[in-house]
Amino acid sequence: MAFYENTIIARQDLAEKDLIAIKEKYNEIINKTSGKVVKIEEWGLLNLAQKIKNYKKGFYIHYKFEGNKETLNEITNKLKIDSSVIRYLTVKYKELDIKNEFFKKDN
Amino acid sequence: MKRKNKKFQKRGTSSLNKLSLFQKNDSKFSKKCPLSIKNAPVIDYKNINLLKKYISDNGKIISSKITSVSFSKQKKLAKEIKKAKILGLL
Repeated sequence: MAFYENTIIARQDLAEKDLIAIKEKYNEIINKTSGKVVKIEEWGLLNLAQKIKNYKKGFYIHYKFEGNKETLNEITNKLKIDSSVIRYLTVKYKELDIKNEFFKKDN
Repeated sequence: MKRKNKKFQKRGTSSLNKLSLFQKNDSKFSKKCPLSIKNAPVIDYKNINLLKKYISDNGKIISSKITSVSFSKQKKLAKEIKKAKILGLL
């Protein structure tokens, strides 16, 4: 078992219901395939540095989880088909730091 | 007040106060790596404010000759910057 971080950029013109649905969907996928979600972060609506598939903004959702080969294959296969996700990135880590949040909103 | 003014002048003219042209100006090039001190900031693709310092206006990575980052940290920086570019953060 290794630690991973997964970031998803969802489309800008989605309703709030769909966003929650996406968030729950991938949470379930990870938990079902012998993985475990440690933390979910929502970075909110951010401006993209350059246009990606003709979108200027996107919703960022960030997962920190523990898993193996099966979970990674399952997620990447689902993300490739998903039309509401513009782009994604998974990174392997030796240790996860849960304390630091770089995209926290200042209230 | 007078003393303060004197100090300020000394600092400004220190580089021109050399005895000869061939004397080495060691103060300019003896900069240490800013990322390998104690309590250094974390190099990560989420830490955009740090990565922005090591990028030019056109989005190119600035060489370590200019920024005086050590070799191992420069390698790590380049990797993290490329990750951030994939996600459209930089």
